Amino acid sequence: MLPCFRQTTPGVEEALNVGRSINPISEPMEIKMSYYTSLINRKFRDVVGKRYDAVLREYSEFLLTEEEMQVAEVSSILIPLDIFVEDVPPELYEVLSAYDADVTLAYIIDAHVYNIIKETLNESSADELRVKREEYGHSLLSKISDKLEEAGVDSQQRLFLGNKGEDVEKMVGNYDLIALSKSYGAEHGETKDISPLVIRLTQKMTIPTLIY
Amino acid sequence: MISVELIAIVVFLLTYALIVDERIHRAVAAMAGAAVVVLLGIVPWDRLLHHVDFGTIFLLMGMMIIVNISRNSGLFEYIAIRTAKLANGSPIKVLLLFSLVTAVVSAFLDNVTTVLLLTPMLLYIAKVMKLNPVPFLLAEILASNVGGAGTLIGDPPNVMIASSAGLTFNEFIFNMGPIAVVDLVIILVMFYLIYGKSLKVDEAERETIVTKLDALDERAAILDLKLFKKSIFTILFVVFMFFIHDKVGSILHTVLPFVDPAMGLEPAEVALIGAAMLLIWSRESPEAIFEKIEWPALFFFGGLFVIVGALVETGVISDIAIFLIAHVNTTGEAMFIIAWFSAFASAIVDNIPLTAALIPLIHDMGATMDIYPLWWALSLGACMGGNGTAIAASANVVVLGIADREGIKISFMDFLKIGMLVLVVTVAVGLGMLYLMYGW
Repeated sequence: MLPCFRQTTPGVEEALNVGRSINPISEPMEIKMSYYTSLINRKFRDVVGKRYDAVLREYSEFLLTEEEMQVAEVSSILIPLDIFVEDVPPELYEVLSAYDADVTLAYIIDAHVYNIIKETLNESSADELRVKREEYGHSLLSKISDKLEEAGVDSQQRLFLGNKGEDVEKMVGNYDLIALSKSYGAEHGETKDISPLVIRLTQKMTIPTLIY
Repeated sequence: MISVELIAIVVFLLTYALIVDERIHRAVAAMAGAAVVVLLGIVPWDRLLHHVDFGTIFLLMGMMIIVNISRNSGLFEYIAIRTAKLANGSPIKVLLLFSLVTAVVSAFLDNVTTVLLLTPMLLYIAKVMKLNPVPFLLAEILASNVGGAGTLIGDPPNVMIASSAGLTFNEFIFNMGPIAVVDLVIILVMFYLIYGKSLKVDEAERETIVTKLDALDERAAILDLKLFKKSIFTILFVVFMFFIHDKVGSILHTVLPFVDPAMGLEPAEVALIGAAMLLIWSRESPEAIFEKIEWPALFFFGGLFVIVGALVETGVISDIAIFLIAHVNTTGEAMFIIAWFSAFASAIVDNIPLTAALIPLIHDMGATMDIYPLWWALSLGACMGGNGTAIAASANVVVLGIADREGIKISFMDFLKIGMLVLVVTVAVGLGMLYLMYGW
């Protein structure tokens, strides 16, 4: 699982090693330091030199900043799904169960593909495709929903014809966290591990994002 | 008429005042003082080489090399994270475990590096626990000074005493080790009684704390696994060698008959052998490692030895020794005076320059009394005296300096209250134990 930016899941958050510093904000220097404070600072500088800066840099790889320590309140989670998402890894169920949150599983059938088939072939061919997608969607939703239930997580299901990008962008406003499959929107490529749609979505997200 | 004695005393006092005030770097102050006494011919070149204790300087240098190479492996961060996890979210366990780890690491490696690398983790844990970090920091300082007192290599005063008096690692373990252990237990009990009630978190929060600390990956702290293993092996080898450094000849003689069975290795030689071994084995860049040697500290020691040498050359030290001998009837009385004087003077001056001045004095007192117990009294006073004030030892300055940078204020009086209490209790207990060993 690859956590994305502003991911704040407890336990997973700490697995991130991105741009951390335990001393991100230096206290403003007092204009007039007491003799004792300046003495300690002089002695510290003479004894330690620049070693403390190096130590802070080393520790910044492991320790969270104060901002990162704040665990965001997560009460609702959105998991968009489509034909390219085959399953959800067990680790995600563990992570989701750490929150006391409601999960919405949203299976989206690509309306653009539906319309192209309708225009180039005919409506019945397009409907045939939609029915097949719906069958797959329902089975995927049931499978994931069952596993979520096993993990003690309540979930709701939605299945609709829509735009995989724009509809997700509209929906996230009602959620505190979104979990995106790396395959959402496109098949696994040989050169790309994450689908272009997922990359585009993560760049636009305003809520914490988990990529699995 | 200005006498050389007066010049030597003035240079000594001025230099020590500069070291206390530190407006000029302590190494520069010590070198400047040394330059004056050399320039005026008070310490001629051949005597200068006699006064500079190369045993101390090379031992510190060897250990600095070993520590600096080991640091590159992430060893200290690994220890810090493991210790944090072991505490299992309990504040009192954090205090106890970090104090123990600090004491043990300080006993075998230098105090400054130990606290420099453990303090950021302690501050982080205190932040995660949303607790006042001051008790943790104070306990760390005191544990570092007490732990360092237990071995020959644990604290610079002990290194200086051992090198000058020719004491072995095992003698230090035998004489100072038990005192350090007992004093550490006393300090931890004192902290439990003083701060125990304030070091609590509720159960719900404890789970969050454990989750956050468990998420720290100690394996990720290891930057170079091979170097990590080599560092641990070398440190263990060097510690083992310290245990047998005075018997190396007899051990080697059994397999290499040409080795003199009476041969022993100086502690400085052991440290340099260990440093050479790790340099060869690790293939770390020697330039990078040698750059990290704390040259200012070594020149500080060198300068101090010359300034104190000026007092020896001019007879000031022997005059004080004669005065003391005339007024002190027994070794027990001398132990009492040395221990308490060095403890309180260390608290004001810093224990390194204080020890440098007292070593030749004790040597001179050896003309009329058994000075062997006096070395332990000096070690006790100088090391435990380091707990007395905020500026008494380097570890104090490092932790308080880091705290200040993180916006945590520990005032001189705040430190003095707990530091002086600990100083009095630990020296009294230590002195009592020394009397049990050597009599009054």
